[in-house]
Amino acid sequence: MSDSPPEQPVVLLVEDDGLLLMEASDTLADAGFTVLEASHADKALKVLENRDDVGILMTDVDMPQGSMDGFALARLVAHRWPSIPVLVVSGMGSPGPNDMPDGARFIPKPYEPTTLVRTLRAFIRRAA
Amino acid sequence: MDVITLPEEGGLAGHLASLESENRHLRVLLAQTSLQADAEIARNARLGRIIAAERSASRAEAEALDALHRRDLADGAARLADAEELNLQLRASEEFNRRILWTTTDCVKVLDLDGRLITVSANAPAVFEVEGSAALIGRPWTALWAAPESRAAVAAALEDARAGRPRRFQARLDGAGVTWWDIAVTPIDGADGRPERILAVSRDITESKQNEDRQTLLMQELAHRVKNTLALVQAISAQTLRGAGTLAAARESLEARLLALSRAHEVLLQGTWQSAALADLVATAAALHGGGEADRFAVSGPEITLCARFGLTLALMLHELGTNAAKHGALSRPGGRVAITWAVQGEAFRFRWEESGGPPVLPPARAGFGSRLIERSLAQGAAGRASLTFPPGGAVFTLEAPMASLAAAP
Repeated sequence: MSDSPPEQPVVLLVEDDGLLLMEASDTLADAGFTVLEASHADKALKVLENRDDVGILMTDVDMPQGSMDGFALARLVAHRWPSIPVLVVSGMGSPGPNDMPDGARFIPKPYEPTTLVRTLRAFIRRAA
Repeated sequence: MDVITLPEEGGLAGHLASLESENRHLRVLLAQTSLQADAEIARNARLGRIIAAERSASRAEAEALDALHRRDLADGAARLADAEELNLQLRASEEFNRRILWTTTDCVKVLDLDGRLITVSANAPAVFEVEGSAALIGRPWTALWAAPESRAAVAAALEDARAGRPRRFQARLDGAGVTWWDIAVTPIDGADGRPERILAVSRDITESKQNEDRQTLLMQELAHRVKNTLALVQAISAQTLRGAGTLAAARESLEARLLALSRAHEVLLQGTWQSAALADLVATAAALHGGGEADRFAVSGPEITLCARFGLTLALMLHELGTNAAKHGALSRPGGRVAITWAVQGEAFRFRWEESGGPPVLPPARAGFGSRLIERSLAQGAAGRASLTFPPGGAVFTLEAPMASLAAAP
């Protein structure tokens, strides 16, 4: 497609449900993204500390295994890596007034795969 | 008329005057207590009926006496007797209304127009957590409400009452614990028809408020779970369609997976959707794939309660293993068996599915939904190691994960 960015953007996918992670990962890989997976916030931070090619963060909210939930992760990433756009997805209704960092997007679960892909592509265009 | 010994003329007139003055005072009191009774009638139908009956009886009596009174206006002695009788009636009525108000479990307060407490019911000191009524009398009612929104609501109701308008509202009282009150504030008119005092009747609604809060929380929790379940169904459908050879095969797999998910939810429901007993999940899978033969599964392991999420993933996994065994493995031949065992060693949870007695097996040509679920999700979600191997004797699935990552919160 002519409006696709030249190289494959790298998405860091943070989701503690294995099946949802698998499906989201397949959806994004099919859409041409390179996908990195993490099952909770702490693992995601480790990935970010060890790589410099992560282009987008997409995170679930409720992840009891890590030391923080997806909102806290989103705020931390927006602060430490301000160039990485953040997308939060959750079945927990809408975010509260102070949950999301500036510029982050929220998509309620379940979502349409095409909505997810469109939102991430828009992020890439904005960042480019 | 000469039967009664009358006091001397001046004394009689004086006595009459004082009785009539008391009569007027008691009428005012009756009017006020009637207003209080009105407020109570609105809030308590049973008490209201008693009060209404009492009031109409005393009113009828008072009217009858009043008529009599006028007819015998010239007769001082009769008038005196009537006035005394009327006063007795009025006093009894006032006392009755007072007793009703002070016997209710509601917290009843009478305030002056500045909003200071004049009279409080016996339970008020306990409600406001003070030593006795003396600690309340003379204090502004608003000062007893710590929460700013409660104080504002109380002040607004007093403002309304001063203007002659009743108001009903709910407010939170912060003390040693939080209590909630449904409060009716009503102006009490004086003889001139203008508000003279203010009546406040508060009913403790803490319990129903707590129920309401619990209900709201449960609804939010339910909405969250339904959305997550739908997201899971969406993922299962998409994964099934991705891996399907034909539409008919996809349909069959999807139906079976959704059935397995639904059975797993039944197990979860028994743990109020927070947890799942591992033995129940295994028994459910055995029932789905055992073909009605109970002895095809040999199950052993200690009682373990899994967190809901891991329980669901494991249930889906067991379904895939069972489906595979029925198609190509031990459950495809009579006499084939599956041994399911688990154990906890220290902090480690070990789970094993081992088939025997089936046809010689070969690893599948391409990774299906089940093996992908193992490889990618089960091991990652549970922060452990999972493997599915196909030695000639039968398929073997093992999972090892820290208990903390998969057990239900205590």
